[in-house]
Amino acid sequence: MTLIHVPRPPKNAFYKDRPVSSLLKNQIRHLQEAEFNLIKTEGQAAEFIRRVTAKLHPEGARPQVVRRRKAQPGRVKEIAAAASRKVRVSGGRKSKAASKTRGKRAASKSNRNSKKRKL
Amino acid sequence: MPPGLDNLKHIVVLMMENRSFDHMLGSLKAVDARIDGLTGNESNPDTTGAAVKVAPLAEFQSQLDPDPDHHFPAVDLQIFGGDASPNRSANMQGFVKSYFNQQHDVKHSGKIMYYFPKEKLPVLTTLATEFAVFNGWFSSIPGPTICNRAFAHYGTSFGQVSMDFFYVKEPYKSVYERLIAANPARTAKIYYYDQSSSTMEIVNLLQHQPQLFGTYDQFLADCKKGTLPDYCFVEPNYNDHDGDEGALVASDQHPDHNVQAGELFIASVYNAIKQNATLWQSTALLIVYDEHGGIYDHVPPPACTPDGFVASGSDTGTGAEFKFDRLGVRVPAILVSPWVPKGTVVSGRIFEHASIPATATKFFLGNYDQRSPREKAADTFLDLLSLSTMRTDAPDFDV
Repeated sequence: MTLIHVPRPPKNAFYKDRPVSSLLKNQIRHLQEAEFNLIKTEGQAAEFIRRVTAKLHPEGARPQVVRRRKAQPGRVKEIAAAASRKVRVSGGRKSKAASKTRGKRAASKSNRNSKKRKL
Repeated sequence: MPPGLDNLKHIVVLMMENRSFDHMLGSLKAVDARIDGLTGNESNPDTTGAAVKVAPLAEFQSQLDPDPDHHFPAVDLQIFGGDASPNRSANMQGFVKSYFNQQHDVKHSGKIMYYFPKEKLPVLTTLATEFAVFNGWFSSIPGPTICNRAFAHYGTSFGQVSMDFFYVKEPYKSVYERLIAANPARTAKIYYYDQSSSTMEIVNLLQHQPQLFGTYDQFLADCKKGTLPDYCFVEPNYNDHDGDEGALVASDQHPDHNVQAGELFIASVYNAIKQNATLWQSTALLIVYDEHGGIYDHVPPPACTPDGFVASGSDTGTGAEFKFDRLGVRVPAILVSPWVPKGTVVSGRIFEHASIPATATKFFLGNYDQRSPREKAADTFLDLLSLSTMRTDAPDFDV
C-alpha cells in the first residue's frame, strides 16, 4: 500500500477577517428565514428584536440602574415571610458554590468584627 | 450481481464547492489520455481579443479573488461566449470575459484559465487515477450553489436557478425522506461540519426534520463504530472560524478558501471509511463538486431531459426563460471503492447531481416513481463496482 503525503495549509490560510462571500451571505439569509419561522411567541419575538437592535444600536442598551424604593414597613415583612416560606417548601440542597460564598462572607464578617474589636 | 454490489451497504457522498473539472483534474490528460482534460492549447479570448491559453499556474489561495461570478447570467456568458441568438451553441469561450466584468482588469481576468498541476493536488489526483474518474459529470444547472445542491438532495431544484429559497413541491421528496419512510426503513443522514459551518440544505430539511442531520465529528465516530447510516451526505467546513481546539480553516475549496485544506478534508473522509475494514469493503464514496465556480472548463454542457419547471426571464437574469433542459459546467467527480477497477475512466456517459438520489434510490429502494423527470432520466453509477475480487492496494493518506 502506498502512503501519500498530504501537505498542510499554511497558518495564514486562516483568515477570519476575509470579507463574507455571496455563498455565506445567502446561507445566512436562509438561516434567518429559518429563525423567523422559529419565532412563535411574543417573548421570542422580543428577544430576537432585542438581539438585533443591540447590535445595530448598542447605545440603546438599558442602563444597569439599581432602583431604590422607600420601604413600606408592612410590605417588607410580608415579602420576607413569603421568601422564608419558599425556602422551607423547596427544601433543596444548597449548591457548594453558594455555601462556599456564604461561608467566605461569614468568615470575612467575623474577621472584620474581630479586627474592630482589636482596634 | 457483482460481489461489490452484493457487499455494498453504504453510499457516502462528499460534495465540495466551486471548482471545474479542468481546473482540478485537467492535468491528468498528460498521465492518461483517456481522461478528458487539457492538452494545453485550450484558450479563451480576453476583452482585447487576445487568446488566453490555459496554464498550470493555479494557486491554493489568493488568486481567484474576487470570487468568480457563477450566477446564471455569468455562466450563460461563460458557456456561450456572449452569443444570445436563438440557435447559438455552447463554445466555452466566455470565461475570461466574464471574469473581466468583475474588476475590469485584463491581466487578472486571464487567471480564470489556470489549472493545478497534478503534483499540487495529491489527494484528488491520486483518487482519480486509483479509482473511477468521470469524464462527463456536470453540475445540474448553469448557476450557483444552492440550486445545484438541491438536485443532489431532491433530484430537482423546484424551478430555482439562483441562491433564493426553494420550497419542496409535491410529490417530490428528498432522498433522505424517501429512505427513512421506506418499508423496511432505511437510514440516511446529512453530516455538516459543525454548527458554525452548518449546512447548505437549510430551508427545508434542517427546519422540519433536524433528526436527519449530524456533525462531522459524529460522522467520524459513526465510521469508527460501524454505525454509519445506509446513505450519507457529507458537507465540508464553509468558513474560517475558531473551534474547541483552535483555528478551523474552511475546507470547502470555494474561492478564495485554501485548496490544500480541502485536500486534507477529502483525505480525512476517505481515511475514516478505509480505517474500518468492514466499512471499507461495504461502502462506495462519491467525491463531487457542486458547480464550477465560474472557472474554465473546455467541455460544452450537453442538453438534458427538461425538468418540468420553467424559470422566467427575470428569474434567470438573462431575459430568456430556462426550461432546465441543459446541464451546467462540468465538475470533478470520483467514485471510490475497493470494488472499482484501478484506473477506471468513465467515458461516453452523462452524469449530473440528479444521478445521486437516482443511484441511492435505485439501490436502496428499487422502483420509486415519485421523482422528477430529470432524476428519472439520470444515469446511475454503482455498475462501476465491477470487480469480482476486492482490491487490497488502495492508497493511504497521512492525515
